[in-house]
Parts: sequence; C-alpha cells; structure tokens
Amino acid sequence: MVGTPVLFIAIPLLAAFLIPLIGMVWKESVRIIPGLVLAYLLVLAINLLSYVTVNGPIVEVIAGWAPPIGINLVFNAFSGFLVTIMVFMGLLVWLYSYRFKSNVEYEAARKYFLLLMMLITGSVGIVLTGDIFNMFVFIEITSISGYALTAFYTGRDSAEASFKYLMMGSIASVMLLLAIMIIYSQLGTLNMADVASKMHLMDPKLKAVSFILFVIALGIEAEVFPLNGWAPDAYAEAPGPVGAAFSGIVVKAGVYALIRYTYTIFDLSGAFNLLIIIGLITLVVAEVAAIRQEKLKRMLAYSSIGQMGLVLVSFGIGTKEGVFAALFIMLNHAIIKPLLFFSGSYLVYHSKKKMISDVDGIGKLAPLTSILFTLGAFAIVGLPPFAGFWSKLSFLMAAADSNMLLVIGLILSVSVVELVYYMRVVNRIFFFKRTTSLLTRRPTFNAYVVMIILGLMILVIGFYPDSVSMYLHNAANSLFDKSQYIHSVLTATIQ
Amino acid sequence: MKKILVLLLLAVVGFYLAGTFFDIGFGNSHFVKNDAIKPVKDIYLQQTVQELKVSNAVTSIVVNFRGFDTLGEVTVLFLSVTALGSILYKKRHHVGERSVLFSASSIVTSGSKLLFPAIVLLGAYVFIHGHLSPGGGFQGGVIIATGFLLMLLAYENYSVSHNGLSIVESLAGITFVGVGLLGFMNGGTFLQNFLPTGELNNLFSGGIIPIIYIAVGFKVAAELTGVIYTVLNEKGEQNG
Repeated sequence: MVGTPVLFIAIPLLAAFLIPLIGMVWKESVRIIPGLVLAYLLVLAINLLSYVTVNGPIVEVIAGWAPPIGINLVFNAFSGFLVTIMVFMGLLVWLYSYRFKSNVEYEAARKYFLLLMMLITGSVGIVLTGDIFNMFVFIEITSISGYALTAFYTGRDSAEASFKYLMMGSIASVMLLLAIMIIYSQLGTLNMADVASKMHLMDPKLKAVSFILFVIALGIEAEVFPLNGWAPDAYAEAPGPVGAAFSGIVVKAGVYALIRYTYTIFDLSGAFNLLIIIGLITLVVAEVAAIRQEKLKRMLAYSSIGQMGLVLVSFGIGTKEGVFAALFIMLNHAIIKPLLFFSGSYLVYHSKKKMISDVDGIGKLAPLTSILFTLGAFAIVGLPPFAGFWSKLSFLMAAADSNMLLVIGLILSVSVVELVYYMRVVNRIFFFKRTTSLLTRRPTFNAYVVMIILGLMILVIGFYPDSVSMYLHNAANSLFDKSQYIHSVLTATIQ
Repeated sequence: MKKILVLLLLAVVGFYLAGTFFDIGFGNSHFVKNDAIKPVKDIYLQQTVQELKVSNAVTSIVVNFRGFDTLGEVTVLFLSVTALGSILYKKRHHVGERSVLFSASSIVTSGSKLLFPAIVLLGAYVFIHGHLSPGGGFQGGVIIATGFLLMLLAYENYSVSHNGLSIVESLAGITFVGVGLLGFMNGGTFLQNFLPTGELNNLFSGGIIPIIYIAVGFKVAAELTGVIYTVLNEKGEQNG
C-alpha cells in the first residue's frame, strides 16, 4: 500500500493552511498547489482502488481508538470508486479553471482555488467517513465552500442564489443534527457500522422519524424534489467550472450519503419504495421544467437534477443490477454533465442573459466547442454508441428484471422529453441562422484539453463499456454486502 | 390562504416532532433505554482519566476521541472566514473610511487600554488550561477576539495587520494537521497521541491535547479578529 485513506483529508487541509503562507512569497503557488494536491490524490485513489479490488476493504482508524469509540474511514470498492471519480473530476475542473481570474488580483484567485479544493475535499470526506457525525462535518465543509463559490461573482443574482442555497443548506444541517441526536440518544453510538448492527433495537417510531429527517437533510444536498429549489439558481449564477463541480462531484456525495443510509444503516423495508417514488417525481418534474427553460445553464441544471432522480430510482430497485445501473449512470453523469457545462459556458460566453437563443448558428463559428457540446448532448440522452446508452440500457434491464413496467414506461417517456430539449439546442447550434452580433469566445488551451479528455472518455466508455464494468460490479457487490461492511469496520484494528 | 396552509402543515409536523423529542427524555442520566446497548460515552469517561490523564472529559472527547471532527470544524471556521473575505472583497474597494458616528469617550479609550491585556491573558489562560478546567481553544480564542473588538471600537484608527493574522492562522492550522500527521508516523494512526500523558491534573499532561488546543486557540482568535476587522473596516488593505 502506498498511502492510507486519511491522506485524502489531511493533505488538502495541510495545503489549504499552507497556501496563504507560500502565497506571500510566490503568488503563482495559489493556482499550482491545489492542482498538485489533486493530482497526488488521484494517484493515491487509483492505487488504493486497485489494492482494494484485490485485498478487500481498508478500514482506517483515527486517533488510535478502534471503532466504535473513535472515528474511522472506510475505503472499499464502493466508496473508493466514487472517490476516484470525484478526485479525477476535481483535477479536470482545476485544469479547466487554471487560467480563471488570471487577469485579476491574486487574492480572488487564492480564494477561488482554496474553496474549490475544499469543496472537493468535503465531498470526498462525505464518501469516505464511517461515522455519522463526521459526515455532518464534511457536509458543512462542502456546503460552506459551495455557498461562497456560488456568490463568487458578487453580483445581485449570484448573491440571491447563494442566499437561497445558504438557507436550504442551514435547514439541512439542522435536520441532520436532529436525526443524529435521535440515533445517538437511542443507540449511544455514532459509528455507522455500529449503528447499523444495533438498528433492530431501536424504537420503530423514532427510527422512522430519524430516517425522514435524514432523507430531508440529504435530499437537499442530493437535489431531490421538492428540496432542490436552490440548485438551478446556484448552477446558473456560479462560475462555469463551479457548476460542473456541483454536478460532477457535490451531488454525487449527497446521493452517496442518501444511499448509505437507506442501504446500510437503516433496515426499513419501505425505504426502497420511497427512493423510487421521490426519484420518479424528481425526474419527471425536473425534465418537464428543463424543457421550459430559456437559459442554457438553467436547462443543464434541471437536466442534472433529473439524472439524479434516475439514479435514485435505480438504487430504489434494490437489486444488484439496479445498483450497477445507478453507479453507471452516476459515472456517466459525472463525465458528461461537466462537458456540457464547460462547452455550454463557452457557447454563451459573451451573451449577457445566457439565453438558449444566443447559440443560434454558432456551429459554424466555433465548430469544435459545438461538436463537443453535441457529443455530450447525444451521450446524456442515451443515444448509441455513446456512454449514456449503456447506463440507460442497464437501468432498463434492471427494471425489467424486477417487473417494474410502469417505471420503465415512465422513464422512456421522460427520455423523449429529454431528447427534445437537447436536440432543440443542437438544432439551434447547427441549423439556425445567426441573428445576434455576439462574438464567439475561443476556449483556452486548457479548456480544450479538458473537454477533449471528457469527450474521449464518452467514446471509450461508449465503445468499450466493459472497461469500467468490473469496477462497477465490485462497487455494487460491496454496497450490497452489509454484513461484511459491519464486520470489517467493527473488527478493524490499528494497522 | 397558501400561508395558512403552510402554517398548518408546519404546526402538524412540529407537534409530532416535539412529541418525539419529549419521549426521548434528554437530560436523564441514562437515556439509552435498552440495557443491551453499551453506549460509547461510558468508555469515553473511563478512558479520559485512565488512559489520557485528562480531567476535562469534554476536552478529551473534542480533541482526542473525536479530534477528526474538530479538525473539520476548524476548517469550517477557516472556510467561513475565507468565504466572507471573498464576498466582501469587491465591496471593499468602493467603500471609503470606516463610518464612525461619534468617537469614543476618553473613559472608553483608556479603560479598554487597561482591559485589553487582561482579556488576552484570560483568553490564553482558558485555552492553555483547556484540558484541566472548563473551556478550551474555541472559547479562549473567542475571548481574545473580543479584546480586539474592544480595541477596534475604542480607537477609530486601530489597525490589525492582515498578513500577521493570516500567518498566525496558517501556522496554527499547520500545527494541528502536522501533529496529526506526526501521530500517523509515530503511533500508526492520524491524530494518535504520541507524547507521554503525564500526571492527572498537571499542566503538562494529556499528551498532544494541550498542543492542539493551543493551536486551535490561536487559530480561532486570529480568524474571529479577521472577521471583525473585515466587517468593521471595509476599506481594508489591498491584501485582505
């Protein structure tokens, strides 16, 4: 082993505290250090993931107190898979925004990169931790970075978006804390595995109350309807790369938390149906809202919410195939949605209102960006042979195996809606006459590199879906094996 | 109509939630009702004295058993300060002098001069003795920041070096993570105690606990002073 999971938290924190000091003497370091940290974490994640695939989960004890006394981190096939995606996407977002604010003061750049790094660290922490209160702390870290990044342009609209997010996030924190309080008062422990093993001793009424509180609190982070009022505004008003980071990284952490609670910690039988219902409502409402949007980024935001609804439905099926499909959708969404945000924000770069109509005929002026956007649009609606096709196919197969015909029908008809609003944009890009006199903006070199990497990944996964399916299967198995999770945590010792 | 419906809904939800929380019986000495469950708190209380040689159980839980959470909370504060700075950043270029309605009287100015060292001393005492007596790094840091608040209110042109604050803040943060990583290298796990724990009730006891709490004290003091200064003195320096 080349490192341990705690480095995912310790190294970025050390860097965050070091950056102000080094920045005083070497100003460029505020941009470079976060990138180096993320690159190191990516190497670490890949190494640990391949170690875990062979040797089983790593349970790291912190402060020398074995679970359930102390806090522990769990790096298994499931959490490791998500951490790897998150860190990889974080690195790409960093690379994309490397020149961001290069013409402005050092101070703004320092804060931007610091907050971005902590946004990623918080999300990684949510996924790695094995303790319910520790998860609360990481959710706080993620959301506070999120509020600040949303308000980064300090305009009126972004302040409003950030304030909305802040209010929703604070309500989520209170709910989460109440839920944790109920669990601690009944079971006297905060360790996830320990809570899970004692869950049957809890009073059913209190169990239901705390579960509902958890679902509300985490639903706000996971953008579940009707708790996602903050999301479209935040996506539309935040700087472009931040929108990509929200959809590629932060939402994944929220969904992970929700899934960890339903699958591992609580043993409520109705929870899976609840997931299907809230997932379906989220999906339908978001896709119907997306088709009515006139601003490009808001449309992408609603589409992102819709995809998360699909993920929840897929987790709610409750079979291994369902989990496999859900993880596949999450992976594809993490790759495709940032590509759409990156290329989309260049398509409407000089437009004041960022309207969809401003992309009319831009295909001739900015061909590469337009093609990359189109690739993303084709992939996300699930056209073969792109990546999104396989995830949607595996979802439909999983649903068909469980005889959920109504769900399949609903999802297919919603997919048509999705197809319509994406194709509408693509149609405007290539076949409409340019009516505005807006200039086009050439993406920076870094932005091209990032978008092409994402585009290639869409093609690779599209043509060789087997290249990722092993990791997905391992992750799905590890989520399902609840007793092994509990056993491996509670028998963990200091290595 | 809509508002009445919302209020009604909230009332129903609130009623049931309140009912649930009254059932739990917070504040009873043994509120974990099931005898089959052994709560971790018993282990905390026992190990605080036996193993860590710390007389303040709250401190041992905050800094040692759940020190990782505290590192997170320290980061939350750090991020909030950064976020506040990044939001107020643009504003500060436009706004001119600090607006002062009337200047403080000589009683306030000379009184705060006398009080300031005492307040800082009290703050330092609280965080140095965090493992022996009530209080700790967070509380001590807040006390010190109130001292700076007093000075800023009493003297219109009192200024705090922003670079100095961020150096203190960074060094304190590095100390926390650094101590954690040293435990990782010496003892095996992050934030594990690697120093001798000493005698119960001595100033030099508790291993790494006082070191971390002193770092937290400095960090909180610097950060809160920075917040007060940013909000109060919107003109600020270039390097805010």
